[in-house]
Amino acid sequence: MTLSATECLLQLAEERHALEEYQSGVPRWCTGCGDHAILAAVQRLCRDEGLRPEKTVFVSGIGCSSRFPHYMRTYGFHGIHGRALPIAEGVRMARPDLTVFVNTGDGDCCSIGAAHWIHAVRYNMDITVFLHDNQIYGLTKMQASPTSPRGLKSNTTPRGAYLEALQPLTVTLGVQNVSFVAQAADWIPESLYEIVKAAYRHRGFSFVRIVQRCPEWLPKQWDPWLHDPKRILLLAHAQGLRPGPELARAYPNQIEHDPSNLDRAREIASDADLIPVGILYCNPDVPCYEDLQLGTRLRTVDYVRAGLEAELDKFTVWPQ
Amino acid sequence: MHAEVRSHIAFYLTEKQALAEAADAPPLGLRPALLARYRDLARLRYDYPVALLREAAAPAAFAPLGALVARAVERAAAAADDPARYAAPALALELELRTLAARGTPAPLATLADAAAGRLARGADAPTAEMLDRLRRALAIDAELVECDAALPARLVTHLWQSVQQRKAAAFRDVIDRLVLKLGEILQADRARSAAARTPEALRAAMGTVDRDAFDFEAMAQLLARLPERGALSSSRRQRIEATLAVLAAQRFFPASGVEPYAFRFADCADALAAFRERLPEMAKLARAVAVARLEIEGEYSEPRHDALFERILGAAPDLRALELFPHYLVCVDARALRARGHDALMELLAGALPVKVLVQSDDILEETLAGTGQVAFGAHARQLTSMAMGMNEVFVLQAAASHLVRAGERLQLAMEYSGPALVSVFSGACAHADGVPPYLYAAAAMESRAFPAFAFEPVAGPDRAAQFSLAGNPQEARDWPVHRLDYEDAEHQGVSEEVAFTLADFVACDRRYANHFERVPRAHWGAPLAPLAQCLDRQAKDLPEKLPCLLMVDDANRLHKVMVDERLVRETRRCRDFWRSLRALGARRERDAARAGVRDAQPPAAAQAPSAMEAPPAAPETAAPATERPAGDPYIETARCSSCDECIQVNNRMFAYDENKQARIVDPNAGTYRQLVEAAESCQVAIIHPGKPRNPGEPGLEGLLRRAEPFQ
Repeated sequence: MTLSATECLLQLAEERHALEEYQSGVPRWCTGCGDHAILAAVQRLCRDEGLRPEKTVFVSGIGCSSRFPHYMRTYGFHGIHGRALPIAEGVRMARPDLTVFVNTGDGDCCSIGAAHWIHAVRYNMDITVFLHDNQIYGLTKMQASPTSPRGLKSNTTPRGAYLEALQPLTVTLGVQNVSFVAQAADWIPESLYEIVKAAYRHRGFSFVRIVQRCPEWLPKQWDPWLHDPKRILLLAHAQGLRPGPELARAYPNQIEHDPSNLDRAREIASDADLIPVGILYCNPDVPCYEDLQLGTRLRTVDYVRAGLEAELDKFTVWPQ
Repeated sequence: MHAEVRSHIAFYLTEKQALAEAADAPPLGLRPALLARYRDLARLRYDYPVALLREAAAPAAFAPLGALVARAVERAAAAADDPARYAAPALALELELRTLAARGTPAPLATLADAAAGRLARGADAPTAEMLDRLRRALAIDAELVECDAALPARLVTHLWQSVQQRKAAAFRDVIDRLVLKLGEILQADRARSAAARTPEALRAAMGTVDRDAFDFEAMAQLLARLPERGALSSSRRQRIEATLAVLAAQRFFPASGVEPYAFRFADCADALAAFRERLPEMAKLARAVAVARLEIEGEYSEPRHDALFERILGAAPDLRALELFPHYLVCVDARALRARGHDALMELLAGALPVKVLVQSDDILEETLAGTGQVAFGAHARQLTSMAMGMNEVFVLQAAASHLVRAGERLQLAMEYSGPALVSVFSGACAHADGVPPYLYAAAAMESRAFPAFAFEPVAGPDRAAQFSLAGNPQEARDWPVHRLDYEDAEHQGVSEEVAFTLADFVACDRRYANHFERVPRAHWGAPLAPLAQCLDRQAKDLPEKLPCLLMVDDANRLHKVMVDERLVRETRRCRDFWRSLRALGARRERDAARAGVRDAQPPAAAQAPSAMEAPPAAPETAAPATERPAGDPYIETARCSSCDECIQVNNRMFAYDENKQARIVDPNAGTYRQLVEAAESCQVAIIHPGKPRNPGEPGLEGLLRRAEPFQ
C-alpha cells in the first residue's frame, strides 16, 4: 500500500492505549453478570483496533446493559428508554467521523424501542449494535421482557409468561436491507471477541445478539446450555469466522455456514434447542443510508445558520 | 519438372521484382478469404461505433452502440405488451445509426438518434412510428458517437483520462473545501473569543434582526468583559493557518473559481516533462499545506516537531507518493513523430515513475526496418517501447489494436487510475497503404495475425512477471495462429468447408506496398504442389520446397483465389510466430502458476474442508492443545474461557487478577486459603477454576472443603 506524505505525518502522532485506559469507573453490575464479559470484549476491541477515545461514542437506552457508556472512557450518551438507536443515528449523521456503538437490552430494543430497531436495520447506517439479551428486566427487578421464554415466572407474569418469546435474530434477518447479524454468548469469551471484532469491521448496521446470563434474577436460565457444550452450535466459514482449535475442542458441535446465505441463516436462527454462535449473515454490498443521504453538501457555518434560522423563524411571534 | 511449377519456384525464391516481366508489380486487388464476410461493416454489429458517455453517473466511460441499443430496447419495451415487436424497428434504427456514424464527423448520440428515427418514421405505420419514438427517447443519452478511425485512440484515451481526472478533482475539491472550512472555523472561533467580538457593536451584528431592539447589548458586553480571555490562538499558529488557507485558495492543479487551472494534456513528452518540473515547487507547497491543515484540524500540530519536519520536506525532493493527490499528465503522441524526436523525454517520464499516461499511436506497423535489409518491422517500434517500459518494472503497459480497445476498456481504465506512469501503445488501423480495408478491420487483422498482439503488464497485479503479464484478449491464445472455418462453393457448386489459419502473410497481403511478395496462381495450376502457408513454416529454409506456400484470398466479387507467397515473407511470418511464442511463454508461466494455485485451492487442509450441515465436525488436531506444564495438585484457571465476571476477584484480589485481556488468572496461590479457592471455583459462572490440592494441611475444615472441591478437579 502506498501512503501519502500527509498520512505518514498523521501516523507520527498516533497513540496507542492500553485496555485499562478505556475503563472508566467501577461497573455497578452484579458480580457474575454477563455484562462484564461484554465490557471486557469491547475494551479489548478498542485497544486492538486502536480506537481513539475522542473519536468513539457509545450510545445506550435504559436498563442494566445501558449503563455501558458509563464504564467506557470514550464519549457516551446514556439516552432514554428505547431510543438508543435514533440517537445513534443522529450522531452518525452529524458526525460521520465518529465510530458509533449502541448497547441496548432486550427490553430497551425489543419492546419500547422495537419500531426504531426495525427501521435502523432497514436504514443500514454504519453502527455496531450489541443487544444484551438476558431475557428479563433486571434493573427494575425481574419483569418479563419480550424475549422471556414462555412459562417464565416473573413479577409481571406470576403464573408464567403466556406468550412465545420474540426471537431477535429472526426478526432482524427478516427486515429489508439487513447487512450483518451475528450471535455470541457471554460465557464464550474467545468467540465473543471475534464476533464483536467482525461486527465492528463490517461497514453497515452490525447487529450482534449476545446471549447473556443474569445471575441475580435468572441464575439457572442458561444452565442447560452452559453445562452441555454440545448445545452450542459453532458456525464456521472461510468468509465468516473459523474457531480456533481450543474452542473447537470445547464446543464440538460445529457446522459450515456461508454467511451470504440468508435463507440458511434464518433456518439456523429459528432453532430453539441449540444456540448458534458465529456470523449468521453478512452482506457488505447493502448501501449505507449515510452514503445515500449525507450528500456532498458541506455543513458550512452559513448553511447551518440558515437552516437554524429557518427552523426558529417558524416559532417567532411577529408583532401584529 | 513442369514449366509452371518451375516458374512458381522461381517466384518463391526470388520474388516478383527480380523477374524482368514483373518489375512494376500491380496491386493485388485481393483480400484474405477470411475477411470476405466483412465487406460492409455498417451492416454488422460489432464494438464500433462507440459512445463516449458524459454522464457522471454512468457505470463506464464508454459503451458500444450495440449495447446501448439493446439497453434502449429493454427500457422502451418494458411497459409494452409484446416486447418482441421492438426487435425489428430497433435493428433498423441501429443500422441507420451505424450508416450515419460511418459517414462523417463524431456527433452527439441524441442528435443522430433523432435524425435516424425521423427518417425511418417517415414511411412507417403508426405503431412502428410510436415504437421508434420510444426507442429514440431511450437513446437520448448525453454521449458522443465515434467511429473507429485515426482519431479514435486519442479521443477514447483522453475521454477515459478525463473521467478519471474529474472524479479525482471532485474528491480533491471536497478535501480542500473541508480543510478550508475547518481552518476557517478555527479562526472564527478565535475571533469570537477575542475582545473585539465582545463589543456591543459586534454583539449586535451577530444577533440578527429579530428582537434586536429588545436586547441590551451594552449590558451583555459588560458581562462578557468580566470573563477572562482564554485559549486565544498564538500568533504563529494564526499565521500558519492563514498562510495555509492562502496556499489552498491559490492552487491551480484542480479547477477552482477565480484561478486558471494548469493544462495537463500534451502532444509532446518533452513539454509534459518541462511542465512537470516547472510545477514541482507548487506541488510541494500544496502537499505541505494539506498536511499542515490536517494536523491543525486534528489539533496535533506540534511546533517543535513538525516545523523542522516540514522544513526538511520542503527542502528535499518531493516524495512521489504524495503526488497521488495531484492530477496525472496525459501525452498523446504519434509513433512516427516520437521516433523523429527521439525517446529521451518519454524515457525520462517513465523511468522517473512520474504520474503520467502516454498514448503512443501507430498508424503503420508494416514499414520496413531502418536497417534496409528488407525485413518487415511488424510493430517493431511499438515492441521496443513496450519492452523498455516493462523493463522499468513500475510502468503499467498496455498494448492493443484500436479494434480491441472497447474490450480492453477495463484494463485501460486501470491504466488511467494507476498511481504511477502508464504506457498505452495502440495500432489505429488507419494506414494509408491498406488496400480498401477499413481501419477497424485492418486493426483487427493486425491483432488476429499476431503482428500487433494485445497484452498488459500490471506492476501491482502480483509479485513476479508471471502474475504481472497477461495476454488475455488475443484470439485463440493457445495456438500459433487463430484458425477459423471457411465455407465456400467450388467450381462444381459443391460446398467445401476448410479450417484456415490467419497468418502474418494474410495481414501483409492487405498492404499494397507488399504486393510483389504475392502471386496469384492461375486456376489451371491449382493442381501444383501447394500447401497452406501455416503448414510450411517449419521447413528448413535451405531445402528446396516440396510444396509451395499459398494463401486463400478473394477478389471484389468474392471469388476464391490461391496466392503464392515468396520466401522472404515466409521468413518474416516465421519470425512473427517465434515472437508470439516468446510472448506466450511469458503468459504460459502465469497460467501454470494459476493452475498450480488452483490445485492448492482444490485441496484445502483437512480442517478447512466443509462438512455438510449438522455433520460431525472435524476432530481438533491433537497438537492444538499443548499440555500446560504445571505441578500436579496446583490450582489453575482456564484463562481463555474466563468471562471477566469479577466473582473470583471479589473473593481475593491478591490471589486472582486480570491479565492484559481482562481475563482472570491465579497470580499467587499462596495469597489466600484453600477455602477461598474452593469458594471461587463454586462461584465461577463458567466453572473454569480448579482448586487443586490444599497447600496447608492444617487448614480448618479441610475435609469438607476437599469434598466441595471434587466436582472442579
